[in-house]
Amino acid sequence: MRSGYFKETVAEHINLTDSTLQRIWILIGLIFVVALPFYFGLYGISLITLMAISAIGAMGLNILTGWTGQISLGQTAFMVLGAYAYAISVESWGWPPIIGFALAGIVPAFASVLVGVPSLRLKGLYLAITTLASAFIVNQLVLEFDGLTNGASGIFVNRPTIFGYAFDTDAKLFYLVAFIGLLTVLACLNLRRSRIGRAFIAIRDNDNAARVMGIDLRAYKLYAFMASSFIVGISGALYGIFLSFVTIDGFPLLLAIEALAILIVGGMGSIAGAILGAIFLVGLPEITSAIFGMFGETAKQFLSTGAHEIKGLLYGLVIILFLRLQPHGLMGLWQDAKRAWTLWPLRY
Amino acid sequence: MTALLRLKDVTRKFGGINAVNGVSLSIEKGEIVSVIGPNGAGKTTLFNLISGFLPVTTGSISVEGRDLAQVPAHKYVQLGIGRTFQNLALFKHGTVVDNILVGRHWQMKTSVIEAALHFGRSRREEIAARERVEEIIEFLEIEHVRDKVVGTLSYGQQKRVELGRALATNPKVLLLDEIVAGMNQEETEDIARFILDIREELGVAILLIEHDMHLVMDISDRVHALNFGRTITEGQPEDVRSHPGVIEAYLGSGGAEQQAGPDHAKATEAAL
Repeated sequence: MRSGYFKETVAEHINLTDSTLQRIWILIGLIFVVALPFYFGLYGISLITLMAISAIGAMGLNILTGWTGQISLGQTAFMVLGAYAYAISVESWGWPPIIGFALAGIVPAFASVLVGVPSLRLKGLYLAITTLASAFIVNQLVLEFDGLTNGASGIFVNRPTIFGYAFDTDAKLFYLVAFIGLLTVLACLNLRRSRIGRAFIAIRDNDNAARVMGIDLRAYKLYAFMASSFIVGISGALYGIFLSFVTIDGFPLLLAIEALAILIVGGMGSIAGAILGAIFLVGLPEITSAIFGMFGETAKQFLSTGAHEIKGLLYGLVIILFLRLQPHGLMGLWQDAKRAWTLWPLRY
Repeated sequence: MTALLRLKDVTRKFGGINAVNGVSLSIEKGEIVSVIGPNGAGKTTLFNLISGFLPVTTGSISVEGRDLAQVPAHKYVQLGIGRTFQNLALFKHGTVVDNILVGRHWQMKTSVIEAALHFGRSRREEIAARERVEEIIEFLEIEHVRDKVVGTLSYGQQKRVELGRALATNPKVLLLDEIVAGMNQEETEDIARFILDIREELGVAILLIEHDMHLVMDISDRVHALNFGRTITEGQPEDVRSHPGVIEAYLGSGGAEQQAGPDHAKATEAAL
């Protein structure tokens, strides 16, 4: 157990870190992330980039679903909007990528108001279906406005050049994604410790009491939609850059399910959980293929022919196992481990 | 002179039933008023009307002369109405500090973008709110559980957190809905002490729904008795206790006739 640490001022309660030891650990973590591309080959780098992009998207969904308790299956809609906002502004109009990224957040944030307003009074399953419909609507709109979006054939996206620096290799793209991921973590942590984050969680835990405390339920649900879609939109733009191509086929509905699965596996409502869940679920096919590899050539063959089906099956299995055995997800496991470590050798 | 909180002929209908029927009540700064009555008398409905959960059917409720019908429910708190709930309504996954901090919500101005940056005003506000919350925690003597998740606390402690959360909203009038229900003697006495201190130190008016008659008789300035949504009587605790209508409400009409002797006040006290 950590001991010998105490707080003398109120400000220390609000700070994100409370000791030098903690700061050193964070620094080690950052160095580790920076060092990652040197270990991995091309495939490994693309995998960790995908993990980082998924983590950003999951953190975005976490604001809406994890904190505010509003289930959404419409995340692909906002990813698509973010990706197109970036692709159109940067590739078609030749605007600087930094503005493209800003638009990739702003456009979905305002679009989410259109989805949010009709769903303010809905909860649970009804809300999920309404948001799901928004995903279909956005896809139709993309096909309809083909003058702007190039319809079904999509838009080719180059690797961005920001302030004269070209993110032209896979490793550099990873650094860009990791940096945006870091900003997202900071923004989420700050939101979490503010009146806004507390209002979101108050709405989830007890909306009646939240209203008596002066929280405007409708406004704050919309704020949650907007903040969530802003981040999800940026993850969509990054995904478009990662694929080098933005089309609606690049953003299947499965992504929305995947995002929810990440939150469940990681631990609902936890920022660290969203990151852990993303790493775990994106890495899951790799772990499986490694395991299948141990069973020899035929097993490997089987995996490569049915890769997509097996992936879907695994997702289902993992979600069921977590919901049944560890509803608090990977973060729950981590808390249990921490508690056991603190109390050891006693049981409680 | 406008009263702090004034209810004028307030009626609330549910279908054909008048849950609250023509109730008038006013409360001044620093007063403690109790609302009593048997189950189903309309006490909690009355609180729900005052705190904006339900709209009134007819009549009006005003705070310092301002009609509540003109104000959206989530802004009642800004006029100075704070409340606790009969069955706990805490944010159960949050810590004690988190819960009480939510009470500071309306007094802070940080926008979503400022909050995400956590810089300047956002940080100053956060520290100020936190300082106030620490004072409340100290006042309610719950320092030892301040970082615990409220779901893990005992019932009595959770009630205190709820009182703290209501206090954090800086209320002018505090509605306490059966705050000592299910508490033992010692916890009840603690709460009574807090209620009196809140009145003394903060000048807050307190409207109390309570079944614990000892508490009601001890700390109330006035008692308002309801039955079937109607006011039976209002007045000094001793007068209300010996009022025939109150005795009838609690014991039935036969009880009132039997009590007509000289010792009826004593018998009522035992019954209540």
